[in-house]
Order: sequence, then C-alpha cells, then structure tokens
Amino acid sequence: MAQSNFDRRRINGPDESYQPIFEADEDLETKWKPGSPRKGRTARDIRPIFLKAGLMNQANGSAYIETEKTKIACAVYGPRQSKTTVYNEKGRLNVEVKFAPFSCTKRRVPIRDAEDRSVAVQIQQALNAAVRLELLPKSTIDIFVTVIENDGIEGCVAAGSVAASVALADAGIEMLGLVAACSAAVVGKEIWMDPTDEEGRVASGSLVLAGMPALGTITSVWQTGLMSPDEAIQCMEACQECCAEIHAVMAQALLENAQNT
Amino acid sequence: MAATSTSPSSSSLSAEQDALKALTFQRLHPKTYLERFLSEDLRPDGREFDEWRDISVIVGSISTADGSALVRLGSTTVVCGVKAELAEPELDKPQDGFLVPNLDLPAICSPRFKPGPPTDEAQVLSDRLNEVLVASGIVPTSSLCIEPGKAVWVLYVDATCINYDGNAFDATLLAMVAALKNTRLPKATYYEDTKRTICSRKIMEPLPIGRLPTSFSFGIFDGTHILADPTSFEEPLLDTTISVVIDENGGLTSVMQLGLGIVGGDDVLEKCIEAAKECWRTSRNSIYGTS
Repeated sequence: MAQSNFDRRRINGPDESYQPIFEADEDLETKWKPGSPRKGRTARDIRPIFLKAGLMNQANGSAYIETEKTKIACAVYGPRQSKTTVYNEKGRLNVEVKFAPFSCTKRRVPIRDAEDRSVAVQIQQALNAAVRLELLPKSTIDIFVTVIENDGIEGCVAAGSVAASVALADAGIEMLGLVAACSAAVVGKEIWMDPTDEEGRVASGSLVLAGMPALGTITSVWQTGLMSPDEAIQCMEACQECCAEIHAVMAQALLENAQNT
Repeated sequence: MAATSTSPSSSSLSAEQDALKALTFQRLHPKTYLERFLSEDLRPDGREFDEWRDISVIVGSISTADGSALVRLGSTTVVCGVKAELAEPELDKPQDGFLVPNLDLPAICSPRFKPGPPTDEAQVLSDRLNEVLVASGIVPTSSLCIEPGKAVWVLYVDATCINYDGNAFDATLLAMVAALKNTRLPKATYYEDTKRTICSRKIMEPLPIGRLPTSFSFGIFDGTHILADPTSFEEPLLDTTISVVIDENGGLTSVMQLGLGIVGGDDVLEKCIEAAKECWRTSRNSIYGTS
C-alpha cells in the first residue's frame, strides 16, 4: 500500500492512514429494516434535479448537475483532431471520469482506478449511439466528467450521462436526440427509483437505463445484481417514464442557457 | 452585441463578423491584442488595472467531506474538500499531526491541460500552497494530536479546479483556508488496551484556526503595467508574477516574486504589497465574514 501511494509529484502525507472508526451503536437508528417503507420519498420518486448548462467558459460545452447529494461537473472539448495517425471515418467519443478525492465516504487516492473507467465506459455507451460521429471523421470529442460528490454509483452513471449529453448539446455537436438516463433498484418486493448510496446497499439488484425519449429509443441498459426478468422489465418501464421527465429538465436547462447568451 | 441583436439582420451579421475578426486577432497576436487594450487604459475583460474580479465563497456543501468550500474568482472555480484520517505520528515528532494540501488541475478545467499525472504547473502550485499553509501555521500540527506517539489526525486538503481562468493560486488558497475553517472533527479517544482510536459523531469540534492567510497576485506586463488578478489569457503574456499573502491582522505571511519585477526603473514590490493591503482592507469582511 505505502509503495503504491507514494507519488513524488504530489505532496505526500504519512505512509499509512486510515478512516476514523466510529462507535458502533450510533448508526443503528438510521438503518433501513426489511419490510419498512422507503424513507423521505415514495418508491417511484426520483430526486429533484438541478441542471445548468454552460457554467465553464474554458470548455466548448459544459454542464453541472446536482441531484440532492450527487454533484457532477462535465465539460466537452472538441471536436479536435485525433492524436492517432490512423485514418478513421467516424469520430471518437473519449470519456474520462474523475472522482474528486473527497467525493466518497472513504478518501480516494488521486490515482485512476477501475471504478473510474467502468463509469466512463457506461457513460460512453449511453452516448455513443446518439452522437452523429459519422459527420466528424478523424476527430475526437473529449468528455471530462468530475464527480464532486458521489451518492450511489448508479445515480452517478445516470447523472453523468445526463450532464454529458447536455454538455454535448451546449458545445453544438450534432446528436440524434438528448440522452436521458435513470436508475432503479429492487429492494425487497418493491422497485425504488434513483437509489442513493445507502439504498443501493440494501438492494438486491439495480438497473441503469439510458435512452433518447424524443425518439422513444434505448441506448444502453446496465443491470447488476439479482432480479427476476419480470422485475427487470418493470424497472426498465419505470426508468423510461422517468427519462421523459428528465428530458424536459434537460431541454429547459439548454433553453435557459441559450436565452442568456 | 446585445444592442446589435435587435437591429436589422445585415448589421448584426457584420457585427458578428467583427467579433469573429477580433477573436482571430486575439488568437494570432495575443500580445498586440493586449497591448492595444492597455494603451487605452483598460483590460480585455473591461477591468481597470488594479481591479479585482468578484469573489464568492460557499462553504460546507459537500457532505462526504469533513469540511468543504467552493470559491469562484471571476470565472475561475475551485472546489476544496478536507478529509480527516488517522495515522501514527513520525517517530521524531510524536505530537504532530499532518496537513497535506494538494491542488489538482484536471483536463476538465482548461483546454491547456491533458489528462494524466499532475502537470508541472499543478506541482508548483501545490508546493507553494503547502509552503504558505505551513509557514502561516493556519492549523498548528500539534493540535491534531490524539495520543502522543500513538495516534494523530491527517488532514488531506484536496482542491480541484473546475474552471481555470487564471490566478488559481489566490482562488485555491482561499478555498483551502475556507474549507479548513469549515472543518469539524469528531471527538477521538485512544484506548490503550485495544490500541485503537474510536471516534464519536455526537461531539464535533471545529479546528483551532491560527491565522487566515489571503493571497493577492499581480502580473507585470511588458515591464510597464501592473495587472491585478490576471486572467488565463493574460497569464502567459506576463513577464513577472508577484503573490502577496496577508494574514488576518494585515501582516505579511509570504511574498513571492517570479521574474524581474521592475516597472519604469523602480522596484515594484512595495507597490504591490501596498495594493494587496488596500485590497485586503476592503475585502476581508466579505470573504471570511460568514461561516
């Protein structure tokens, strides 16, 4: 551990440090117990979304999204010339996700790990089908996503895709439609939309769906954990309904930005 | 631009073309572009030479961090979060905790930066921030001791730049200080018999903040003009940068000068220090007033 953490390009702390351990009895009251209803909202409610486009003036396009505790900033640079010399008829989407060191309960050492990449791949998959890459030969579109605060990895993927899609639109890159994304989890016998980190831990399985509500198509579905085929279909249908609502929020954010500039 | 948008389409088109021409000129001849503005006693963003951009500080918005702050200096945006962890102290300093400040300039904040390990610029800035925070003794490391020789706090002060529009040093220092000021640590007790440290969420204590350093940076262009709070467009054209760090009593904490620092034959350092103090007097209440 100590070896891999040492990086002479950063200011280093002690070789080893660990998360504070808290007294065990303090967390018990807030824990969810099987069979009890969801706390704070109904099963089919998603968290309120705050979405704003064009906050960063250095980027070609940008967006910031906040769904209660989840906070994500996204910037699009490009289309720029691909670095590889190989001729490519289609453009390429390059998605890079970075978690801020303070974004999770445990401090993240500022080195790219597997989770960053898996989130990046999922966002890339959600967007790939929507962007008209055939119009941009030899180019790369860089999408940088920074997670400032993380509250559930499924919500992160969904919010990241939404932000990236709005940032792409803000950058004036041609798309077939805006990509909206939503997550759902199976908890007991119920389906809870847009689960938080805490709810994700009590869920048996979860699903993230991305699609273009304007065209009624799906661009990516990512399911993990345990759920029956019926539940999966139900989750997808519920997600699609929510995506239509999220689509309206995205369109509103883009409209507001266009009117202000 | 706003005025022309209501006029007939032909004139708005020509205005658009003029704006495009100006943009091309700025790209191709940045130095001449800036010179022409300065000869009119104005800067490209409409500021006076000694004028600062608006500063806004929001603290405590990140719940996963023990303390956090978001600072906007014009459009430069820096988020800073403090994470507290436990560690064993160094053998030769059994009572001292650790303060580990780092600034990250990721690819998201400017087209100049590429993804990957920290750039030279980020490394230099982190090092300067470390120097200022340690030199000013903002948080005495001895106050981070839980049990001498056994357990101390490590405060990781990580700042991430979201939008880079110049003068990241001032913005980051402000974010770090505000985040540290916002930090609450749980009460920790070291148990000799189990050799473990247990914390309690019921009692949260703020850090004993010693001093509040604030930095004011100036750039010197062409040996003739002193520009306060340079933007990302002005920064690469400057031949000297001067950063003056002032503490909460108006005393100097640190002065850094990179470059020659001569304007019209006289030494400019004193002028900058005076200007920084003046600016500190007018802005101190608004910056750290709340929280």
